[in-house]
Amino acid sequence: MSRTPGFVRVEALSRRAALRRIALGVTATGLAESLSTADGAEVHAQVEDERTFRGEYKVRYFSDHEFATLERLSELIIPADEQGPSGRDGGAPEFMDLLSSQNGELADILSGGILWLDATSRARNGKTFAAAPEEAQIQILDDLVEAERVRDGADTRWPSREYARFSVYGVRRPSDVQGGLAFFGWVRRLIVDAYYTSPAGMKDLGFLGNAAHSEYAVPQKAIDHAIARSPFRDL
Amino acid sequence: MANRVYDVVVVGAGAGGGTMARVLGEKGVKVALIEAGPMIDPSRDFKTNQWPHDYGHRGAEDGGKAYFGRGTAYGFFTAVSGGWQLEGEPYTSAPGTRFDWFRSRVVGGRTNHYGRMSFRFSDMDFKPYSRDGIGWDWPLTYDEIAPWYDRVEEYIGVTGTVEGIRSAPDGKFHDAPEPKVHERLIRASGERLGVPFIANRRAVITRPINGRLACHYCGQCGRGCLTESNYSASQIDVFPAIKTGNVTVITDAMVREVETRDNGLVRGVIYVDKQERAERRVEGRAVVLAASACETARLMLNSRSKHFPNGIANGSGLVGRYLMDTVGFSLRGTLPALENMPRYDTDGFGGAHLYAPWWLWDGHSELDFPRGYHIEMGGGFRMPGVGSFGRIAREAGYGTAIKRMARERYGTAISLSGRGEMIPNDQSYMDIDPDVVDRWGIPVPRFHFSFSDYEWKQARHMEKTFRDLIEAAGGRVLGIGNMEREREGIAVPGSIIHEVGTVRMGESSATSVLNKYCQAHEVRNLFVADGGTFVSNPDKNPTLTINALSWRTAEYLAEELRKGNV
Repeated sequence: MSRTPGFVRVEALSRRAALRRIALGVTATGLAESLSTADGAEVHAQVEDERTFRGEYKVRYFSDHEFATLERLSELIIPADEQGPSGRDGGAPEFMDLLSSQNGELADILSGGILWLDATSRARNGKTFAAAPEEAQIQILDDLVEAERVRDGADTRWPSREYARFSVYGVRRPSDVQGGLAFFGWVRRLIVDAYYTSPAGMKDLGFLGNAAHSEYAVPQKAIDHAIARSPFRDL
Repeated sequence: MANRVYDVVVVGAGAGGGTMARVLGEKGVKVALIEAGPMIDPSRDFKTNQWPHDYGHRGAEDGGKAYFGRGTAYGFFTAVSGGWQLEGEPYTSAPGTRFDWFRSRVVGGRTNHYGRMSFRFSDMDFKPYSRDGIGWDWPLTYDEIAPWYDRVEEYIGVTGTVEGIRSAPDGKFHDAPEPKVHERLIRASGERLGVPFIANRRAVITRPINGRLACHYCGQCGRGCLTESNYSASQIDVFPAIKTGNVTVITDAMVREVETRDNGLVRGVIYVDKQERAERRVEGRAVVLAASACETARLMLNSRSKHFPNGIANGSGLVGRYLMDTVGFSLRGTLPALENMPRYDTDGFGGAHLYAPWWLWDGHSELDFPRGYHIEMGGGFRMPGVGSFGRIAREAGYGTAIKRMARERYGTAISLSGRGEMIPNDQSYMDIDPDVVDRWGIPVPRFHFSFSDYEWKQARHMEKTFRDLIEAAGGRVLGIGNMEREREGIAVPGSIIHEVGTVRMGESSATSVLNKYCQAHEVRNLFVADGGTFVSNPDKNPTLTINALSWRTAEYLAEELRKGNV
């Protein structure tokens, strides 16, 4: 009748968990003053060896053209700079493909959005978005951001959302990109999330956590930085 | 088939039931611990130290469910098994009212993921009516419960510092880690405004005890801890209970009814074996209900017999009444002093390193609300996850502007949350919905809930205090902490997940369900060991007090069993 667990498998750790446990054991037995961030990172690096962000991925849902378009968007929305690579290098296209292969609602948003983007691009310059010159691609993104700001009332050139819609005064040309705003919001969100959750994005931000320490310490230079910019003389 | 008879049947393997089973098991009492969910395996179920990029979905879950509002409560990496809605197990609310009910059906229950804030109730908290004439007094004093707080703290481990603040009694503390930079800024604001911030009291160990490793400061208590450095009822109570050899855990068993003998005493419980979808029975000399306040009240109301036509031990009609949650409100802000700050690991021990206990406990004559709140804090260079930079991306547009703004603002956001005492009232209770049963054939709770002006005014005091604290540090208020749940100016009832008070204890069987040992006035072999026992809901997160009351009840029950009184 009743099912009693014969034992609790608290020790049945996966290889990954075991690795971490070893690292943590070092601190707990006091062998090290503190497991440094570097040591902690090394443990985690062993875990990361099991994964690559670019290279072997086999596209599941998107066509080659769609995937290439998402790759281009990932480079434009999160471009590479001196502190970090692009959203494409952060695995954004693969992320969008994986989720779309599992979720028809999201797949429709992205596929439909790419069709819209290509139609808009063709109407402007006769080429698909991916094939258009960079200036033309950037112009579309600029127009999308502007249309979004008008929609959301965040355009600082206008005193209010209501005023922005008062087109008699504004004589604003109706935007040809308004229909793409939902897609733009989605694709940007997905690219940004993929980038900042990738190792490169975390490094770009300087995230130093998810490590193991035997003691918790706050560096004085961080405290000094805040004091200098705060109303307080000490913290 | 003969039913095995245990000494004690405990329903629910969370904080109350886990403590009960372990203490009884250690004393040689034979216990059946019945849990509505599965066994937990930390090595498989806890996501300690994992990264978002360990998963192709980065934490957005399969198909990006989290983006569509269908993700796991509190996020993919959280060690929860449950949520606000469980498939096939509905609950209802009376027209015009709302109460959100979080259920975690798994060994350990909600303690697998909870915030681990561990505050003792004060002497004032046990006698609120005597102080201000509102609500009811507990049938206990602080001095009576203090030895059990000591035992719980020594066993589970709680951090803190000795402060001598009357509203926040000191305990047996582990050393607390030093405050982070944003916490120091808010502490300095508090010094100007007269709000004292002290070391946080959390159920985390900072030195090894009982074979558990000291905290390694990864900041991920909410995911569950592979090194057992924090308290969860699963790892710290139920697993040791099993090792006593006296505790049998029966999982996936949804208890439907407490069964009564002809003499009006409890025989045992009837449950639905969820795998077999079949009814089972387990008997005991005593039954302890620790299923959570609302689940216990539901079970008692559904246990009707000729002795108890309105539900077992409900002659007072108070089972289900005086349901309380905590008053919640939070503000988000940004502190420019933190912009471009040198990076450091702000993870710490999994919650804020500072908190403010209620500091105006002697000043209510000058306030327009009768009871207090404490202040919790959030901030730091947190691990990026899906959605972390959504606002920044929107504001920056696209391109390198996003990257620049993200670097500049990373770690500058803070939040302040108030957690306040709600006064029990007649409009807030649960009964059984006569029209709805769940997939196990069990009638479901129907909630009725109303905050009063007491709570509303307290939340407004929180709002002003938080604004002042943020601005005194040179910061700017960004908005309400949780638009989804706090847009009315006070958190949606139930959403703080501190629901208590449905089967309260008291001196008299006319005004309470349980006596001071959490034993039913009307049924001497029926006990309760969860938050349902609470007479009031002080601004102290309830788990530590659930542990302490359960431990005390367990010792009382073991002694009564030994004497043959039960």
